[in-house]
Amino acid sequence: MGDPIVIDRLTKDFDGFRAVDDLSLTVRQGSFLGFLGPNGAGKTTTIKIMTNLLAASGGSAVLNGIDVVQHPKEALAQVGAVVETPEFYPYLTPNETLAYLGEIRGMTREDISRRTKEVLETVKMTEWADKRIGKFSKGMKQRVAIAQAMLHEPSVIILDEPTSGLDPRGMYEVREILNELSKHDYTIFMSSHLLNEVQEVCSDVALINRGRLLRSGSVEELLEQASVKRIEVRTKQQMSGELLNSISKLEGVQELRASGENQFMFSLTGKDEEQAQMLLRLQSLGLNVVSYKESGLALESLYMSLIKDSR
Amino acid sequence: MMMAEVSVNSTPREARALPSDLKQVGVVAKYDVMKYLRSRRLLGMLIIEAIVLIAITVLLATSSNPKTADGVVGQYAGFATILIVIGATLFGGDAIVSEYQGRTGYLLFPNPIKKVSIIIGKFISAVAAMVLILVIYYAIALVAGLVMGNGFSTLGLASLGLAILYGISALAVAFLISSFMKGTAGSLILTFALFFFVLDIISSIMGQLGGIKPWFLLNFAGSSLSYVTTDPFPVDSVETLDIGGGQSFTFYSFYPDIGLSIAVMVAYAVVALVLAYLIFRRREMSA
Repeated sequence: MGDPIVIDRLTKDFDGFRAVDDLSLTVRQGSFLGFLGPNGAGKTTTIKIMTNLLAASGGSAVLNGIDVVQHPKEALAQVGAVVETPEFYPYLTPNETLAYLGEIRGMTREDISRRTKEVLETVKMTEWADKRIGKFSKGMKQRVAIAQAMLHEPSVIILDEPTSGLDPRGMYEVREILNELSKHDYTIFMSSHLLNEVQEVCSDVALINRGRLLRSGSVEELLEQASVKRIEVRTKQQMSGELLNSISKLEGVQELRASGENQFMFSLTGKDEEQAQMLLRLQSLGLNVVSYKESGLALESLYMSLIKDSR
Repeated sequence: MMMAEVSVNSTPREARALPSDLKQVGVVAKYDVMKYLRSRRLLGMLIIEAIVLIAITVLLATSSNPKTADGVVGQYAGFATILIVIGATLFGGDAIVSEYQGRTGYLLFPNPIKKVSIIIGKFISAVAAMVLILVIYYAIALVAGLVMGNGFSTLGLASLGLAILYGISALAVAFLISSFMKGTAGSLILTFALFFFVLDIISSIMGQLGGIKPWFLLNFAGSSLSYVTTDPFPVDSVETLDIGGGQSFTFYSFYPDIGLSIAVMVAYAVVALVLAYLIFRRREMSA
């Protein structure tokens, strides 16, 4: 069997504005792909086309070998999706909602009953199974949404910013579910702008901006390519203008700025060797370095540099 | 901290066969009926119906005029159009737009189901609710005809048939409005206003003042459900009134032809529903 998700030259125009621009991307079987990009990059538009919520202006999105633009019913047969934060029919309970969607998907009564129990347990909603969804919190709805995406044991799961709008506890709970999903034989396509989330749970990553693919590959490969780091330094002495001036002249130092009386940050181009050398150079200036660390995530550094370049 | 461990108890397995489009229509219809039952729209409709029935029955029972079974049912039939207008608004006015405004489309549309199955399923459930309301209404009207008019009104049955047809065509128009409107409230108001007075005003202007028989307007065709109980069936008439100064005013009275009205209602139902589907099919979840 071929790759479960193949997006080829996908384009979407909205009244003269191109939201997705000739996007091509392949997602390999069993991978957990983080689809990264800033707000307005075209992530949700791409996902909406993949889930038959929007029509493409050009190109194709093939799911399990079937073009979703041409044959949405067949293409979505083995796909589970959570797009934006869906609303539920308020007069139905989670059990009834899952029964409704299960029946649409042709599941037997026994299958629906068994899987409903399993997926609601997975998302910790068992005790709410017979309560009407109308008054559920956003976090609870999101958990039911993930449950329905898993209900029919799909081969592909598509998630659109699944932790968006949730409180910290809700985000933690959804991330736990994502972590667990990643251990199973699903192919997962998840959009996000939360880099820590992607770095934590994803095996692969695709970066887009302005509807165009900037980079894709395994997280490991991309981290390897991440050459710009943000370094945060705390010293024993106070930082004077003279000292900062000297530091700014050091080779490899960019975007230097004081971040406190005895702290400063800068960007460094290079890998571990260059980072170690820089520490020595700072000490050679007479700085008593108390801490010297990378600020933020390596993926964030790569992301920021690619986004910057693509502007 | 909670959620120390979660478990996904299953792994993907072989693809199962999807149900036919027709079977999915049934699934959508079944759960949409549940909506009417639980959202209290059906209950509200039944309460309105009960109020109308009680009011007409009390008026007829206290009237000393001689009554026939057809005449009694005809009195009830005169108010059936109001029930149909309210029913079309409640059961069809927001059938499609609510999936967009309420964002439930994000849940339903990414499933392997064609939009034609969704719209037909919703339409069938709306028609079922409308038919239920009308059958209850006419059953009581026919019983009232039996008791107060001392006979069974066969014309009442014809009226029921026309009422169901008018209800179906009004629902189709409501679905059409719901397919292009952006907001639920606007869609409900437009549906109600259209049937409650906009079409009436147009047909009055055309018919009574312009002398044009508005046979092609849905409300005019729908009014046949009331006239069908009158025996003999009324015929079109023109009356000229001298208003002095050498001037006169002409009044036109037009009555729907039953056969033509059936054709008009069928045409409205088919055309409106097809248009609603075409708009729904192209409509995107872009917000």
